[in-house]
Amino acid sequence: MALLEVENLQTHFRTPDGVNRAVDGVSFHVNAGETVAIVGESGCGKSVTSMSILRLIPEPPGKIAGAIRFQGRDLLKLSDREMRDIRGNEISMIFQEPMTSLNPVLTVGRQIGETLRLHQGLSKQQAEEKAVEMLTLVGIPEPRRRVREYPHQLSGGMRQRVMIAIALACNPKLLIADEPTTALDVTIQAQILELMKDLKHRVGAAIVLITHDLGVVAEVAERVIVMYAGRKVEEAAVGPLFNDPKHPYTQGLLGSMPKLGSSLHGDEGRLAEIPGLVPSLKKKIDGCVFAGRCPKVTDLCRQVAPALEEKAPGHVAACHYAIKEGAIAA
Amino acid sequence: MFAYVIRRVLATIPVMALVALFVFSLLYLAPGDPAAVIAGDQATPQDVERIRASLGLDRPYLVRFGSWVWGILNGDMGVSIFTNLPVTTMIAQRIEPTLSLMILTLILAVTIAVPMGVVAAWKQGTLIDRAVMGFAVLGFSVPVFVVGYLLAYVFALELDWLPVQGYTALSKGFLPWLENLVLPAVALGGVYIALIARITRATMLEVLQQDYIRTARAKGAGQGSILFLHALKNAAVPIVTVIGIGIALLIGGAVVTESVFAIPGLGRLTVDAILRRDYPVIQGVVLLFSFVYVLVNLIIDLAYTLFDPRIRY
Repeated sequence: MALLEVENLQTHFRTPDGVNRAVDGVSFHVNAGETVAIVGESGCGKSVTSMSILRLIPEPPGKIAGAIRFQGRDLLKLSDREMRDIRGNEISMIFQEPMTSLNPVLTVGRQIGETLRLHQGLSKQQAEEKAVEMLTLVGIPEPRRRVREYPHQLSGGMRQRVMIAIALACNPKLLIADEPTTALDVTIQAQILELMKDLKHRVGAAIVLITHDLGVVAEVAERVIVMYAGRKVEEAAVGPLFNDPKHPYTQGLLGSMPKLGSSLHGDEGRLAEIPGLVPSLKKKIDGCVFAGRCPKVTDLCRQVAPALEEKAPGHVAACHYAIKEGAIAA
Repeated sequence: MFAYVIRRVLATIPVMALVALFVFSLLYLAPGDPAAVIAGDQATPQDVERIRASLGLDRPYLVRFGSWVWGILNGDMGVSIFTNLPVTTMIAQRIEPTLSLMILTLILAVTIAVPMGVVAAWKQGTLIDRAVMGFAVLGFSVPVFVVGYLLAYVFALELDWLPVQGYTALSKGFLPWLENLVLPAVALGGVYIALIARITRATMLEVLQQDYIRTARAKGAGQGSILFLHALKNAAVPIVTVIGIGIALLIGGAVVTESVFAIPGLGRLTVDAILRRDYPVIQGVVLLFSFVYVLVNLIIDLAYTLFDPRIRY
């Protein structure tokens, strides 16, 4: 049994001008100890998917439907009390904005200690001891001094390390990292990724990594889920996905990655891009969600939504024209 | 920090000096002559002149101001024209009821208004929120004396739960003291509660949108801890500021409230002194109120550091 099974997840928001289908029928699973990346442009529903897993979507106006089975228990059926026991304990989360994700008026030690006191019933002293330990683990120098400091006294990279310390304090089985390196500068990004990889081996947690940075995906993920307009459009192990992307959207994403020497094209030497924008999710889309921007679009695409199909072993994509391995031979 | 406290205390000196000048000048410029009031209807102009000379009112403005300030610095606020008692003595006799009323109102208002604002923000847009906001509008718009008489009518006259008016000294027991002060405190606190509740709600709404609140949820913190620890501590600075500014409301309201409930406090003393043109008393009381206001705001400035570690002096 997989650690996390998400089945037909639908997260919709009621808005004054219609229902926003931010996530519309997404299914995937995460095995214990595995790192799965969810990629896509801004507005594709990646963050909403991750927030839905911990039920951090405000309801109303949000509404989460489907099933999210964590170790066999459907999280959507738990009471608020039971859900709180899981948050920060068995599943924890790191956010994109290290500058604003820590409470400015509480000490770092208190914020790390809070999870420990909540979930492991540690005393104040024990929690502070453990907080010092966690700070050491995430590579913050002078942890004894730092536990008593406030977030504004730390740099962005240090704050993200503190967030990681908070997230890992209770040895979670699943860590959801929502663009953990986006707000950091490149050298710090590398350090944070290295730290996450290192800690993952030590703690043995599975990671769901939300990102739009394909470089990060290549570096840390084992399996990749590509999301577009609230749906999953492709899923494969990281190697096949990068070498043989099936969905035109994935191909477009990979094509728009800058590569040394070869990625500029045209007279002006522009970086490749996917024309257009993610469609509004307030209207029901007939046909393929990517049809409006797809270079290979046909009438079939505009009328009939392609189902997710296994195009190669362990490699699914939702495209009428993605060639199925072995189909030609047969 | 210590240097800052010293600097802030020193900075109150010019403020108080300005207030003193203002208070003194205001009465100097005000129409009406205390000598004429004391002399009565039958007095001749010579009588009035004699009384004026005996009160020192014929001396030049600056000389009078100088001697008044010098007296205050020596703990002497002058002698009441009307009762011939030292102003300090009169204030000392009247300060307990007013202080009791203000402190009780402050405690009552903060303990009611802050949770009210927090809950309204948490339940934004619901019936509870609207009820709180409706109450706040009511608190702002109904004058203290109307609320006062209404409360006295319902709880004292009709239901007979509490005394209609008067004051019992704290030395005669806590309960009698409290019984006499509950209605005045509620009447006086209305506007104050409305003000604090509104600002608490507005600030909390903003704080609850912050990323660190989401982090707290993701950690598994309970609703109470999120509202009262993670959010309220961040919202504290504007709330505390308003509590301080609102002290002015209490001072103004105390004068009216004491009249409605016949409490022998500084408010009544002020009103009586104004009616009698008892200048030394008016000056003394107004100066004292100003001093309290300046002091409270100093304390609040210092309190900021307790709530927000980013504020350093």
